[in-house]
Amino acid sequence: MEVKKITRVALAALVVGGMATLLVMSYAKVQEAKGSFSLLMESYVLSAISTYLLVFLGILILRYAVLILYSFMEHFEVIKRGYATAVPREESSLPMISLVVPAFNEGVVIQAAIRSLLQLSYPNYEIIVIDDGSTDDTYEKAMVVAQESGDIAVRVVTKRNGGKAEALNTGMTLARGEFILNMDGDTKLSSNTLRACIRHFDNPRVGAVAGNVKVINRENIWSRIQALEYVEGLAMARKAQSFMRAVNIIPGPIGMFRKSVLQQVGGYDHDTFAEDCDLTLKLLMHGWHIAYEPSAVAWVETPSRLLDLLKQRYRWTRGILQATSKHSYALWQPRKAGVNFGILWYMLFEGIMWPFSTLLGNVFFSYVAIQYGLASLLFYWWLQLTLLDVVSAAYCVIVEEEEPSLILYAIAFRLFYINIIDVSKVFATIEEWRGHTMTWGKLEREGKL
Amino acid sequence: MDLISILATVILATTIGTVMIGIAAYAAFKLRDKRKPKARVVGEDDGLSRGASKEPVFLSRYVPVPPTSIKTVK
Repeated sequence: MEVKKITRVALAALVVGGMATLLVMSYAKVQEAKGSFSLLMESYVLSAISTYLLVFLGILILRYAVLILYSFMEHFEVIKRGYATAVPREESSLPMISLVVPAFNEGVVIQAAIRSLLQLSYPNYEIIVIDDGSTDDTYEKAMVVAQESGDIAVRVVTKRNGGKAEALNTGMTLARGEFILNMDGDTKLSSNTLRACIRHFDNPRVGAVAGNVKVINRENIWSRIQALEYVEGLAMARKAQSFMRAVNIIPGPIGMFRKSVLQQVGGYDHDTFAEDCDLTLKLLMHGWHIAYEPSAVAWVETPSRLLDLLKQRYRWTRGILQATSKHSYALWQPRKAGVNFGILWYMLFEGIMWPFSTLLGNVFFSYVAIQYGLASLLFYWWLQLTLLDVVSAAYCVIVEEEEPSLILYAIAFRLFYINIIDVSKVFATIEEWRGHTMTWGKLEREGKL
Repeated sequence: MDLISILATVILATTIGTVMIGIAAYAAFKLRDKRKPKARVVGEDDGLSRGASKEPVFLSRYVPVPPTSIKTVK
């Protein structure tokens, strides 16, 4: 264990140090080429784009610095809180929790998913499987496990296909518990999930708890980079948001809610393709706090092929834009919206400005490299972004005690992965703006649970 | 050629290559999405019947037997 810890820190120091050295060397090279910086100010167009990219880089550095600082403070607070609430609660005083599992064509994974739910360490819960009109054998397979289950009630309900939001609302209606844990049909939860999440509801202002999501199928470079993305998104971004009591997305694979709060906001809406993001924004707009629980882990299968990955990111991008647009009134009312004002602008930065700007930067510096023979400027730009990625990856891998090799994937992330994803995000944003129709885009499961 | 120049050339080639791959992959994804079967229309198999008869299970209308056709059995 200690060896792994040392390896993690040593690899992090090595990679960050190596990238920083390259950055210094590349700066010296750019300085060597006389007039390379002043070339960027040669015409109005060049200077306008250069200034914009400089401002963007400044915002990006600030974003990483704030997120790392706040997530570290949250991490420290969680450790402190963990010691403070180490006293075990009375088993009989724990409230009932209903686990809602929506499933559409999850025949390959549904049995493993339900069986893992039967192993959870909690005395008082039920499982409700909502078969959303599957055309495969999801319902029959779920029924087999339901009949096997002993003390824990497993109910399987089948309905006409109406989408995930409708399935989750059906689950909410049928739930007998005071609290509801919504998840995906292909998800495996860590056994402490329910105990870890429920303690946050001791605070009456907390309306929901977001869990931690990790990638289970780390089998090729695509899924390994996604594993790093998930670790960064949760260990850094969500922890920092939790410190500000403003988690902006309760992930679909694991989110626990007060049933009364779900009913108060009217459950999930059908008008976006990111129903989890939309619901989270509704809760925030109603003034509820959302906590993040890092020890409640949902293991999920991610796309391991490029086109499946693009399909998923396309839907996420458009879904988040739809959800943001629904609550856009908060963008222009900082006094009334409070912290939600910042959350929405942050989401727009991540959803629109970030992919557009990195793509613009790449195209711009590639043009400068070809036109003026200054490839070192592109390399300098690329290194700055990569150093940010590597630093945040190193921090997250150490804090989350993840595989040390994930740090190296931060370089692959910037080398090719994010360029391909950003193109897709930019097209998705344009299509959303132009109002193109879209379909849900179901990910084909491989049964890696 | 020094190390930085070599790496800069590699990054230039990779950046242009990946942006082009990104565009091609996006076009392929859209093409694949278009070629998928269309969504089911009302009246088609909705997954609930699964090969059984398409008659509704619970909502078959009750038709009372006319009194004339009732025969008394002795």
